[in-house]
Amino acid sequence: MPDIVRFFEDRVESTTESLQSALAHVALPSTVDDADLYFEHTLREHYSVEDGMVKKAGQDVSQGVGARIVSGERTGFAFTEEFSPRQIAQALESARRIAQGPGSGRPLALSRPGRPQHNLYPTTDLAFDRPVPDKIGILETIDRLCRQESSKVVQVMASLAFEDKTVQIVRSDGQVVVDRIPLTRLNVSVIAQEGSNRQTGSYGWGGRTDFSGIVSPERLAQACREAVRQALVNLEARPCPSGTMDVVLGPGWPGILLHEAIGHGLEGDFNRKGTSAFSGRIGQRVASPLCTIIDDGTLPGRRGSLNVDDEGTPTQRTVLIENGILRGYLQDRQNARLMGTHSTGNGRRESYAHPVMPRMTNTVMLPGESDPAEVLASLDRGIYAVNFGGGQVDITSGKFVFSMSEAYYVEKGKILHPVKGATLIGNGPDVLTKVRMVGTDMSLDTGVGTCGKDGQSVPVGVGLPTIRVDALTVGGTN
Amino acid sequence: MNVVPSQNLPSKSFEDGEEAIRFILEAARSAGATSADALFISGVEETVGVRKGEIEKVQAAQSRGIGIRVFAGTRQSSVATRDLSPDHLRTLVARAVAMAQHTAEDPYAGLPDRILPPAIDPAKLFPEESHSPSRDELVERALATEKAALSYDPRITNSEGAECSRSHSHIVFGNSLGFLHGYRKSSYALSCSVIATSGDQMERDYWYVTGPLWEKTSDAEGIGKKAASRTVRRLGARRIKTGSYPVIFDPETARSLIGHFAGAVSGSALYRNATYLKGREGTPVMNACMTLREDPFLPGAPGSRPFDGEGLPTRKKTLVDEGVLQTFLFDTYSARKLGRQSTANAVRSLGDGPGVGISNLIVVPGTSSLEDLMKKAGKGLLVTELIGFGVSTVTGDYSRGAFGYWFEDGAILHPVSEITLAGTLDEVYQNIVDRGSDLEIRSSINSPSLLVEGLRIAGD
Repeated sequence: MPDIVRFFEDRVESTTESLQSALAHVALPSTVDDADLYFEHTLREHYSVEDGMVKKAGQDVSQGVGARIVSGERTGFAFTEEFSPRQIAQALESARRIAQGPGSGRPLALSRPGRPQHNLYPTTDLAFDRPVPDKIGILETIDRLCRQESSKVVQVMASLAFEDKTVQIVRSDGQVVVDRIPLTRLNVSVIAQEGSNRQTGSYGWGGRTDFSGIVSPERLAQACREAVRQALVNLEARPCPSGTMDVVLGPGWPGILLHEAIGHGLEGDFNRKGTSAFSGRIGQRVASPLCTIIDDGTLPGRRGSLNVDDEGTPTQRTVLIENGILRGYLQDRQNARLMGTHSTGNGRRESYAHPVMPRMTNTVMLPGESDPAEVLASLDRGIYAVNFGGGQVDITSGKFVFSMSEAYYVEKGKILHPVKGATLIGNGPDVLTKVRMVGTDMSLDTGVGTCGKDGQSVPVGVGLPTIRVDALTVGGTN
Repeated sequence: MNVVPSQNLPSKSFEDGEEAIRFILEAARSAGATSADALFISGVEETVGVRKGEIEKVQAAQSRGIGIRVFAGTRQSSVATRDLSPDHLRTLVARAVAMAQHTAEDPYAGLPDRILPPAIDPAKLFPEESHSPSRDELVERALATEKAALSYDPRITNSEGAECSRSHSHIVFGNSLGFLHGYRKSSYALSCSVIATSGDQMERDYWYVTGPLWEKTSDAEGIGKKAASRTVRRLGARRIKTGSYPVIFDPETARSLIGHFAGAVSGSALYRNATYLKGREGTPVMNACMTLREDPFLPGAPGSRPFDGEGLPTRKKTLVDEGVLQTFLFDTYSARKLGRQSTANAVRSLGDGPGVGISNLIVVPGTSSLEDLMKKAGKGLLVTELIGFGVSTVTGDYSRGAFGYWFEDGAILHPVSEITLAGTLDEVYQNIVDRGSDLEIRSSINSPSLLVEGLRIAGD
């Protein structure tokens, strides 16, 4: 393993001293509140199988330095893809033009890089350490297992992708943090056919954990079984009813409800600008007393976890809603400063080429006291949704949607039959006030979430127990 | 491989796309590749954002990257990088060739059978620019836009700001059959998003323009006013009763509806068994009033291009003629796999090998105004915004969140929110009974308003 403290010193075309002297010329005006340089080198590798063949394999090298200057509400941002002191100083100079006033203040200082305080992911047993045929073999196994599950499977598409990201964050307050961040993601997607009825099923998983665990024979078998089971269930699915009805959400990934319905609305930038449906509502009741919701970037090995955020702030566990009362927002450094509070370690960016914004990490509803079976049994007429595709929210009006990929019609507490995928729509500020029961079975998703905001994608996680929500609008065709 | 190696090897990073590609193709040959192709993209971008009359952000970007695909016989692999130094490129290409030894033999994989010149002189697709704006001009235009929006109506109470940007990119593609061509294009954009309040209801909407010339953004005041009027008219939204109603998709939402069709006619989806349109060539897939054309030569349109992602000359085609599906879209791979010819619909990005995609799609407009369409429908919903991902081109199921306006007798009565639309893509396309005259080329997919009969709406 390379010494990550020295990683960028070895790559920047000359010594730390010459970078230091190049930066010394970029004196920051006194109107500057914050400035940073974000060095990134990311190696990605990906494989995919379809039609029974691993036809695609590839690598992707992405590297650059993002320079950012923050002055009040203003942000200047530029980046370079060359690790040369001259180019880096030029990017900083370009970003600096946002700040008013003469450049008589302090120069950006480079101190000796330090490692983050906590360590949530492994640095050995990563996918990159394996020979290429091993990784291809994993996808061949997936293809075979899925086809063995059922003769109705007519297509198997699976992918394995992983990245090894090394970052160095140099802040104008003198802090320098380095981190090496692994991420692995697998996906199995099958098409099952019966006559002219064609349906899909999928299962994805991964995280910032050691590779052996992610691709163990048990894990592969479980993934294939789940993907095929879902496709076969969907072959039996009938048209979904439409209208307003009560819904039980299964544990895990359906936590995307939290992400869309309230998570985005609690991000610091929207609340500082007063454009969120949750603006100015700290201390008010926004959910039923059964709901306590946190954002936790410190869960070991999770897809949404980070040792430090992309501004070098250690991640933390932030209480957003406690027993139904709104307690806090998610902050990066700029929005925290403007709102007179501290960063919650939620300043994130897609890459060196993108500026920082407040973003979620792992957003989780804590378990309640109801037996999950009782939650389902309490449903008089409605939908039991156990799996979802993606979701979206309008943070200003609060309206959010998410789409079911596996769901059942329920009457008098009994599952009657599966229903076809449909969209659910609700109103973020009041949906959680309609949570009637919360199960004991909180589980985190399997490591599949990618959140998009303002054109930037970052990996996230969610967690949810079985819950019952009354009066959601179900977008079926019947 | 018959590529001439470049003469003067620079020791520093490549700036010139053609030179970089020649070097890569030669490096691939040396490393044992039987054939290869490479895509070079470089770009300069500048974006300014203003909010409440002040500059909020200034972003400058200069980037370039290369995507490379190598073949070892019928096995392949691909690599991409932002580091264009010769040493790194040589190492990476060698790694790609080594990786390709392990992928599956695929008899259909490979470059196109032969090379042909680009279909059109790129200069005819992308107009010559008479003026490239300074940063101050971008700021001025964004400020003027936001100002017009904020002063439009007292109910406009907040702003997400206005943004103005310019980008200039250079795209070069080459392969070991000897194809090596490039083109440059510019894009300017101006957008504005504001917030209107009434009681405890808050609504946000936006408007934007984008195009190949700076002049496209000249009506700053008009764009600001349109953003504001779109926002204010959302206030007072309520739900409607669950039921089946006529629905008019406005040009923005019609674009998204037609976009799903572009995914379903892909040859890749066809050989994967992943489209509900399988087996439907030559049969009606839309109402007889619908004709859909692809035009890669629309001057200045965002999808215009002289050659596709594999270097094949692009061409115009009719996808749907009076409702009947004329052809699927193919790249070289999906065509070979199905015993067809490429339709020059390969699209290529740095990180991934070719896939199937469209250049510019146009729904041929009709003669009805929006008011005519509303009158024809009687009463129903005019949809102006769709959210969510509830669309499957495999099953054809369609279910999305929507915002719009309830109309009766040709007049809008009130805004409608927190509802969903659902059906199947097949039914929706077959039930498009009329289309408006309001076609405007704003994007790579372009449609007039479309009137769909009897769509399921879930509400109260």
